[in-house]
Amino acid sequence: MASPLEQFVDNVRTMSASGSFRELCEVIGKSDEVLQRNSAHLPTVLETLDIQQHSLGVLAVLVAKFSLPQGAEVDKANMFKQIHDFITNCNGEQVRFSPELYAELCHLLTNHLVDIKQPIRGIEILKKAIRKIQLFDSQLTSIHADLCQLCLLSKCMKPALEFLDTDVTGIGTELGGNNDSKHFLLYYYYGGMIYTAMKNYDRALYFFEVVVTVPAMVVSHIMLEAYKKYILVSFILHGKILPMPKYTSQVVCRFLKPLSVAYHELATSTHAASKHRETFVRDKNMGLVNQVLSSMYKKNIQRLTKTFLTLSLSDVASRVQLGGPSQAENYILNMIEEGEIYAMINQKDGMVVFLDSPEKYASPETLCVLEQQMAACTKLHQYIQEMDEQIQVNPQYVKKSVGSHDEDIPATSQNSKTTYSM
Amino acid sequence: MFEMNTAEPMQVDVPPEDNENNETECYVVDNPTLDLETYAASYTGFAKLYRLMFVADHCPSLRLEALKMAISYVMTTYNVSLYQTLHKKLAEAVASAGLPDVAVQMGSQDIPVLDTIWIESKTKKAAIKLEKLDTDLKNYKTNSIKESIRRGHDDLGDHYLDCGDLTSALKCYSRARDYCTSGKHIIMMCLNVVKVSVYLQNWAHVLNYVSKAEGTPDFNEVPGKDSNQSILTRLKCAAGLAELATKKYKSAAKHFLAASIDHCDYPELLSSNNVAIYGGLCALATFDRSELQKQVIVSSSFKLFLELEPQLRDIIFKFYESKYASCLRLLDEIRDNLLLDMYLAPHLNSLYMQIRNRALIQYFSPYLSADMRLMAAAFNRTVNALEDELMLLILDGQIQARIDSHNKILYAKDVDQRSTTFERSLAMGKEYQRRTSMLILRAAMLKNQIHVKNVGRDTGPQSGEAPGSSTSLTPRTFDTVPL
Repeated sequence: MASPLEQFVDNVRTMSASGSFRELCEVIGKSDEVLQRNSAHLPTVLETLDIQQHSLGVLAVLVAKFSLPQGAEVDKANMFKQIHDFITNCNGEQVRFSPELYAELCHLLTNHLVDIKQPIRGIEILKKAIRKIQLFDSQLTSIHADLCQLCLLSKCMKPALEFLDTDVTGIGTELGGNNDSKHFLLYYYYGGMIYTAMKNYDRALYFFEVVVTVPAMVVSHIMLEAYKKYILVSFILHGKILPMPKYTSQVVCRFLKPLSVAYHELATSTHAASKHRETFVRDKNMGLVNQVLSSMYKKNIQRLTKTFLTLSLSDVASRVQLGGPSQAENYILNMIEEGEIYAMINQKDGMVVFLDSPEKYASPETLCVLEQQMAACTKLHQYIQEMDEQIQVNPQYVKKSVGSHDEDIPATSQNSKTTYSM
Repeated sequence: MFEMNTAEPMQVDVPPEDNENNETECYVVDNPTLDLETYAASYTGFAKLYRLMFVADHCPSLRLEALKMAISYVMTTYNVSLYQTLHKKLAEAVASAGLPDVAVQMGSQDIPVLDTIWIESKTKKAAIKLEKLDTDLKNYKTNSIKESIRRGHDDLGDHYLDCGDLTSALKCYSRARDYCTSGKHIIMMCLNVVKVSVYLQNWAHVLNYVSKAEGTPDFNEVPGKDSNQSILTRLKCAAGLAELATKKYKSAAKHFLAASIDHCDYPELLSSNNVAIYGGLCALATFDRSELQKQVIVSSSFKLFLELEPQLRDIIFKFYESKYASCLRLLDEIRDNLLLDMYLAPHLNSLYMQIRNRALIQYFSPYLSADMRLMAAAFNRTVNALEDELMLLILDGQIQARIDSHNKILYAKDVDQRSTTFERSLAMGKEYQRRTSMLILRAAMLKNQIHVKNVGRDTGPQSGEAPGSSTSLTPRTFDTVPL
């Protein structure tokens, strides 16, 4: 066995035993090359290390082993099992010292599963992986994106929902800093797609908005695709394109609009869908575009309920530009069934009677909903206050806001504030 | 700067620019009841020329007459290029009028021919005058007598205006600003600039200089109350015109209403009749009932304006008396004439629409339910057209009502305050939650320094952002979408 490799194993053993994991991380960072070069001996190394005690070492070896570009076919078959074992048995405390490496392993697994077209196998294990590395439930890691990708590919959305439904309050270090924001963007992009698939458009719009408003100096393709979907979901939900928040980066505003002309045209002309059909099909958004079209009819019918008490079906058809009374009847029937409008159809003389919403906000359920909402609001408010307190006691902030009295007061104190607020 | 060469090409530039503006809205007025002679007599200078040209562009039946009058007027000025343009138009008009017609027989007798000698002599004279004024100004400048320099600039501006070179005129008038010694001079300067800016249709400039004039310290103490009043009226008219042109009808109405009839002498821009019509229509379109009564109907000064336009007076009174059918019919009657007004024409449709909507709202306001057939009769409309109009108003929130299309009855809508409050507070709570979680997420994002940067594939992810190309749209690691 080559000596550098032996030295590596020694290092891992002694440092793990003495609990100096931070130093171990440094060693591992440097021994990347050694491991790559001695790929043939890696299985032997693995056997000498214990998953529970030497988690970091095993992690490094596994990553090195599976990121080899060539000659790894033999191991690929074993890969799933090995990673599965590692994630189930490794020591979370230890692994948290090197979240990058841990995430890297999960990315490798994801890519492998995507390649062999068995995405559904990875869902459970990635869920476990996320739970293991998270410090708290609402922490976002770069593994989240992988999970969402697998869920989307396997068309099995539900497992991702428990993660998506928790609002993120903290972000894992492997996502920030100098690293690529790809996984952050991807998580929100995939998440938006999952919600769109689940027809939770409100939440989907929120997710796409996050992608588009990430501070940016260049425009990522993920942002562009998210923006396209943002427009479509915005149409379905509100019947128009919602304006972007003010804090959206300027680059984004400047570049995204000209690149998504076809989508903007949906707002102005009804023929845009057929005119830009190719674009929509190429972007794989045709399904959503069709939903936009039908939602436009629905929005128009909903507008009618605001202005009319009674209206004949043929008038409905002509006012919302539907083919004929029977098509209008179909739409209205569906909308009544889904509770989107309150109306009655009188087939005898072909009239529709629009009613007011029967909700009188007097039931115990309403009260319950109201209380839940209020509790949620208070919780958020409290959290904000905590954040504010943390900033108040942040030494850097204190230094800046106190020191600034001598010089230019507004500039510095505001700067430090805006860093944390929007 | 003051040489002839610079002035020449600009002269050619200005009039075509104006023609383009007119041609953007192509419509034809067939049978106006306008007496062109009296109409033109109330204006001088460019106002007369532009208005006549506008009429010529939009009214075939008056085209020849308008062009002839414009040509005969332009002969009194130095504006050679406009003379040529007008002649070209005249030739086109004659050609298109139909050859074998009576018009040609009539026209051949008194259609003026292009007078090349006149052009030459005028060009020469203009050049001579320009040179003289220029040398005068230089002399003044060497002697550095402020007052004379100011006058020199003003004279030069007048001359440029006479030649039709508006931009140079504007420059000269503005230059006089540095040599103003008293508030009165500043006001004169502002008035000159305002005038030229109106011709150039630079409305922001107009408003700017009107407020400048009004802000001049001794504006209110200028001796001679009469001249002060007339200046004020001029400023108000110009401001009103600018507001009208920028579609701020309400403030336009207020400006016009502040004009005083005794001092309304502003033939370079508009006549008293214009003030009456612009002010009256804008007020009708934007004022509510009590405002209309207080500021228009019982206003002693504006009453006199309205006497000039009895039809409009009747319209306003009918509107106030809720006789909408006759009011709207009268409005339609004067429509053709108003379409020949160059400043009002582009806004006529929206003003008429607003007046109509206001009438509809007022009509329905006292009712709990109204028969739409009667309503349609009161507004000269079919029931279906009325239904469409009402629908728009309801959606716009201007009428609180619902339409019973089956029985053709309009019902006032009683809003359930309790339910709407619940609805709105729940929506607000949702919005708060959404925004706050976005805020928290963003704070986390900034804390971890997550931002999209240019991590080139070739440089590797550790190298940070590549300088220089940060604004270009670089396709970063693009992930194929699995849906």
